[in-house]
Amino acid sequence: MKSEPFVRFRFIAVSLSLIAALLVAQLVRIQVSANTRAMREDTRKTIEDGKRVLYPERGNIYDRWGHLLAGNKEMYQLGIDLRYVVSPVTIASTLASVAGMNYNDVYAKASTEYDANSAVYIDLRTTITPEQAQKLQTLQISLEKKAGKVQKDQEYPSLLGLVWTPILQRSYPEGSLASNLVGAYTFLDRDGNRDLGQGIYGVEAYYNDILAGQPVIVNYSLDPNKAQTLPNVPPGAGLILTIDIQIQAMVEKVLDESVAKTKSDSGTIVVLDPKTGEILAMTSTPRMDPNKYWDYQKTFHDGTETDRAVSQMYEPGSVFKVLTMATGMDTGTVTPDTVYLDRGTIEVGGITITNWDFLAHGPQTMEGCMQLSLNVCLAWVATQIGEKNFYAYLDKFGIGRMTNVDLSGEVDWPVLLPGQPGWTPFSLGANAYGQGVNVTPIQLASAISAVANHGEMMAPHILKAIVANGKQEARPLRSLGNPISAKTATDLTNMLAQSVESESYQNAHIDGYRIAGKTGTASISVGKLGYITNLTNASFVGWGPVEDPQFLVYVWLEKPKTNMWGSLVASPVFAEVVRQLVVLMNIPPDDVREKLKGQ
Amino acid sequence: MTQSLIQAYQQAPWRNQLKWIATFLLGVIVVALVAGLYLSISAQAMSMGFEIQEKNQDKVVIAQDIADLRNQLGDLTADPAMLERAKALGYDYVNPSDLEYILVPGYSGRQTASLAPQTATEEFSEPTINPEYTSSLSEILFQGLLKFSVMQARRIP
Repeated sequence: MKSEPFVRFRFIAVSLSLIAALLVAQLVRIQVSANTRAMREDTRKTIEDGKRVLYPERGNIYDRWGHLLAGNKEMYQLGIDLRYVVSPVTIASTLASVAGMNYNDVYAKASTEYDANSAVYIDLRTTITPEQAQKLQTLQISLEKKAGKVQKDQEYPSLLGLVWTPILQRSYPEGSLASNLVGAYTFLDRDGNRDLGQGIYGVEAYYNDILAGQPVIVNYSLDPNKAQTLPNVPPGAGLILTIDIQIQAMVEKVLDESVAKTKSDSGTIVVLDPKTGEILAMTSTPRMDPNKYWDYQKTFHDGTETDRAVSQMYEPGSVFKVLTMATGMDTGTVTPDTVYLDRGTIEVGGITITNWDFLAHGPQTMEGCMQLSLNVCLAWVATQIGEKNFYAYLDKFGIGRMTNVDLSGEVDWPVLLPGQPGWTPFSLGANAYGQGVNVTPIQLASAISAVANHGEMMAPHILKAIVANGKQEARPLRSLGNPISAKTATDLTNMLAQSVESESYQNAHIDGYRIAGKTGTASISVGKLGYITNLTNASFVGWGPVEDPQFLVYVWLEKPKTNMWGSLVASPVFAEVVRQLVVLMNIPPDDVREKLKGQ
Repeated sequence: MTQSLIQAYQQAPWRNQLKWIATFLLGVIVVALVAGLYLSISAQAMSMGFEIQEKNQDKVVIAQDIADLRNQLGDLTADPAMLERAKALGYDYVNPSDLEYILVPGYSGRQTASLAPQTATEEFSEPTINPEYTSSLSEILFQGLLKFSVMQARRIP
């Protein structure tokens, strides 16, 4: 007979064994149950083995002094994770008050039924500031605390399901300043469907690929056992532009005031360094705020308005005479002292050309012809040059071709050449004074910069340097050739400086500085209706100081209503720009410069 | 007799039990040690994994902070903001006639932005390679013989 303690021991052993067996059975049951399998699959999907695309930070854009024009700021993108939404009403009312969103829109989106295959996450396409995100977080926590224990599927005030994800959003600290040049980036398309985010207009569009950088695809897992150091993703290249933000701000202010004062349809100003082709400032009206790029249709009606300096063709009128006279002098057809007897009319190709004032001015030197802007005289010069030489020189000046300036949206219009349909012998006479030929402001400014730069034409450009991989690489300057000799350029510059000093150019005078310049008033052609008589394109091109040109300023006012003449509406704009430009560029008056040279 | 011998050399039952228990416990200890070691290493690896994930996240956050701070600086120095601040401080636009220009020896004017070291055309000097690596064996022998003969010739009075 077994003793009592042994029975007890056996009983305990059997009991413990049974408990152990039950525990093992339960463990096995948990491991193989359908719910566990589903949970494991769900976890795997969430944390394991996904490909993740690491997008680089978009490159910054700076002006020539390193002043930020386009950067990236921290914002939070709003979205709704439909799996966790408890109260669409709370989400909609909160976003309406915190982020100013439309209640009905948000409510409709938050009320969408969750569907694992089609409706999981809704991007609200709105970003909020870190302060707003902080407010949402505080509110979310307090609502959850207040809710306490609630029944399953019971609706209660909650922000569960509302998601805010940190992102870097493109930002333009200067707002609309220089926006014609800088362009915009469609940052709302960046997350969710990032492939659609892209630069539009200006530098953002032209250099989109190098600003965007190269995304890196990595195998990524949230499982800590598979954690790996993410590779460095170099940010997109930074761009240093040639523009000076202070000059740009000044030019925009002057232009806006002038457009309003002259009641012009639009205006454009280009400021170039003729020695390098660098664009120091360039603007046109209207301008948009790239921080609210989605409103662009309220500002622009068609693509040509985004940057008229490169995108809009027009007949320039008398400013074009600079090129005609340069050609005449360079081919030896005329000299500054050549005398032309102006009878007020000339017949070219069977059509009579008259002066702008319909008067005859008698014997005039070429200097007088330019000073009085005589159409008849310049048409005569063109006929003396001959078709072949005239158009060959226009080609050398780049007229009819794009300048290939590094801005998006540049257009060109080929020059009609002898023998081509539409060209008549009269075209030569009309082209001589800038009618029947279409240019963009940048094209003409670039061509005339050859006269300001001793005959050499530099490629106009906006990019000064690229900052990438910790290095700064300067953009090399590019010469477009020498359409005219240095002597022609100097003689013509002096001739046009004399013009500016004359009484008829008094609106373009700059005290203390010798400046060369030419006005332009062009008739506007309206399809088959011919030219409108009372509306014009008023322009002025000038450069200086004559002894050492450091800037070229091109002004164009489209259809000014207060006065139609370039000398009366565009010249004062030019003068106002130059008066402030010489201060901003530290260019002393001529006499001071001479004195300083002697020291 | 045989039975007596077996009994004489047989372990006592409690000793056998003790031996089995000791062996079992040793096994348990070894398994526990291995499991502990495994757990420790696994926990360390997981902890490092979490740390790596945190650092990755920190890296992203820092990069975003830097970009944001750079942008804040841009906001603070934006033209309209600077203009407003200058006006508040009592500054006004300069009258060109009030300007006085002076020549500062050695000052070459304001320099354009330099946001990173400039790239320069790297100039490599010609590689110096010993003639032993460029000459053929026959050339080396010939040069050696030539040198030897010259030395011999110099010895001749």
